[in-house]
Amino acid sequence: MTVSGAVIRARGLVKHFGRGQSLVRAVDEVDLEVPEGQTLAVMGPSGCGKSTLLHLLGGLERPTAGEVWVAGRRIDTLSERDLARMRRRSVGFVFQSFHLVEELSAAENVELPALLAGRSPREARRRAMLLLDRVGLAGRARHLPSRLSGGQRQRVAIARALVNEPLVVLADEPTGNLDTAATLDVLRIFEELRAAGQTLVIVTHDERVAATADRLVSMRDGMFVDDTHLAAARPRGLGGLLGLGD
Amino acid sequence: MGSVVLAVRLALADVRRHPAQAVMLLLAVTVATATMAVGLSLHAVSDALYAQTRAATAGPDVVVLSGESGPEVTAALASLTDRPDVAAHHGPYRIVYTDLTTRDAVSSPVVVHGFAETPGPVNRPLVTSGRWVRPGGTVLERGFAVALGVDVGDRVTIAGRSYPVVGIAVTAATSIYPWGAQIGPYGGPSDYTGLAWMTRSDARALAESRNLPVTTAIDLKLRDPAAAETFRHTVADDHPVRLVRSTFRSWWFTAQHDKVILRNAQPILVIGSWLLGFLAVTGVATLAAGRVAEQTRRAGLLKAAGAGPGLIAAVLLTEYLAAALAGDALGLTIARLTLPAVAAPTASRIGDAEPTVTAVVAATALAVAVAVLSTLGPTLRAMRTATVTALAAAARPPRHRPRLTALSALLPTPLLLGLRLTARRPGRAVLQACTTATTVVAITVLLTVHAQRERGYGLDGSTALPNLRGLHDRRLMLAITVLLVALAVVNILTFTWTTAMEARATMAVARALGATPGQVAAGLSAAQLLPGLPGAVLGVPLGFLVYLLFGVGDSVPPRLSWTLGAALATLLVTAALAALPARLAARRSVARELGAEAA
Repeated sequence: MTVSGAVIRARGLVKHFGRGQSLVRAVDEVDLEVPEGQTLAVMGPSGCGKSTLLHLLGGLERPTAGEVWVAGRRIDTLSERDLARMRRRSVGFVFQSFHLVEELSAAENVELPALLAGRSPREARRRAMLLLDRVGLAGRARHLPSRLSGGQRQRVAIARALVNEPLVVLADEPTGNLDTAATLDVLRIFEELRAAGQTLVIVTHDERVAATADRLVSMRDGMFVDDTHLAAARPRGLGGLLGLGD
Repeated sequence: MGSVVLAVRLALADVRRHPAQAVMLLLAVTVATATMAVGLSLHAVSDALYAQTRAATAGPDVVVLSGESGPEVTAALASLTDRPDVAAHHGPYRIVYTDLTTRDAVSSPVVVHGFAETPGPVNRPLVTSGRWVRPGGTVLERGFAVALGVDVGDRVTIAGRSYPVVGIAVTAATSIYPWGAQIGPYGGPSDYTGLAWMTRSDARALAESRNLPVTTAIDLKLRDPAAAETFRHTVADDHPVRLVRSTFRSWWFTAQHDKVILRNAQPILVIGSWLLGFLAVTGVATLAAGRVAEQTRRAGLLKAAGAGPGLIAAVLLTEYLAAALAGDALGLTIARLTLPAVAAPTASRIGDAEPTVTAVVAATALAVAVAVLSTLGPTLRAMRTATVTALAAAARPPRHRPRLTALSALLPTPLLLGLRLTARRPGRAVLQACTTATTVVAITVLLTVHAQRERGYGLDGSTALPNLRGLHDRRLMLAITVLLVALAVVNILTFTWTTAMEARATMAVARALGATPGQVAAGLSAAQLLPGLPGAVLGVPLGFLVYLLFGVGDSVPPRLSWTLGAALATLLVTAALAALPARLAARRSVARELGAEAA
């Protein structure tokens, strides 16, 4: 970790798209620190820059200005190759649209990052099966994404994000395409991850998802307008959070 | 009428949106149809050039040659003129066998025909530059003069004596250069020989000065030129000409003999046009497949608007058919311009030529076939898809291939990505393999053509005068190979870019998961290289087989190291070419690609 203990740190982060009259300030002078083990929820209306912020933190986009540090290493100056290596080791992504490879089975999707990281096929498969079991999909390991429900696909995507034991999982609207039951499944997994000390940054519209976080940041027009620590205030346990009873 | 206007408007809009695709189809069809039209017209054009030369030179219907000379031979040949079916004649005249050397010391066998200073009614060589024979000067046959690099005013040495070249001429009485001697000395076989004319007295003096071999010939014009081929059979066995070892050469025989120099040219061009057509189909089909979802959505829109299957097919095919027919027209124009040079590699014939009707029809059929074969699949799919489904059509998802996926897991990341990309579109992988095989076949045939031993047209087979047939074959094969390689290059770029665009979401996911741009680019290159490998391996034996099938006599294979080197070079070039679009594709923004996919 960094000297300050932050897994992710951003200073004066700016991302503009377009120019002149069509200039869009997607992220505007944002400062952020995410300590190890924290679950951070980023909320805000559509187009406020949440997803762009997530892409900047994961090295999928380069900032217009400012600095981004992941695991104590400044990443906004890294080459594309070094960014890719950083993502392998340190970052797991979960997307709203799942972004599973359609022609690969659930297990093959999960093991893909492990293979890219140079793990042996046997070890990659072992980890994939372990994680699929953890998200309750061991019996669906050979299914193609097209044979899985939305919730199951997102659980596969979460397993894939975890396969290289990343320092931080960046989730972009992970329940945006899911129904209530599937959302609950995903939230249970995030709760388990939070309990296990996994650092999480979740961009979401969903109050239920935000309520599972330790800290909630609100965004508007590319800027942070509120930063609230929830850990002490909110009830423990997913059922309590959702008002469902344990 | 409204439907036609709609189809044309939509086709024009498509061309504006995808100009590179239209240009690629146009150029590919142009080279394929030009090559096919030239190849299929070769023999007819050779006949046409012979006919025009024959008409311009009062070419004889029959030339009767005797391997001997002397008064009895002359009398025997002259007695043929008494026959009622002979309308006119020229000769008998003397043919002297000797050597000719230019000022540049290029030597060649030559036959010297002794002609009158004023040509007769039959076999009147057409002087194309300079003037006709005069005492002390010689006229060279044009094909021979061009091969020697000699022009009017130059001096040549014939049988040790220097003569000025006073003229250049063509004749239809003999075959084209280097078959000026229709029989050898004493009636035996002849070597590659040029033709020259002198006055009768000069030819006699030349023969007597060195005691050179002499034969005798007479040119006959028949009342029925169509009977020329059977004329020899109408000469009685006890006719004096039968006693002097005579050889009959009809105009038809000479016209056919002209084509000997084209013996390999036609298969080179026709097979070349098939291969060019095939590469055109593979390239355009790949582009069309990349647009299949777009075409299906368009078909859905048309269906929703009430269009019938005919109109939908017309709209989808018009763009391709129009580009192919434009390419066909361009190809036929190029064929018309190049035909005389290709059909007459020597300068022994005069005249102009056009592609035959058969060649025009075949070339047009090829153009239509390229357009239809390239787009039939996507068009049928678009027509068969239900309207609602078509309106929301997306690219067909690739099939799950667990064994290949498991195998690829054992490989380094670029090969892992490459193999999985290859497995996404196996049909395209086959087309890629065929493209590589076609290229290697062409290169192998080219190398095989170059490996053949051939006798030069100079004295004693010297290559100071090159073997024109071999030279012609090599030039044509080189041209075909260059065109095939050019199309293959375009195809590789097309394959790679189409693969990259179709797999951009998957590659963006791979990059988000930690694949570097270099690994993705290498994976895209590997996806082109992997199918190319079996293509290259197959291409070498296939190339030699093609040569054996259409080659002549004892073919010498090229050096193994050359062919293997060519196959390896093809693969390396494939990898290098694929790297260009692959690198461009790998540099696209991951976030944007993922966003586009989600949208």
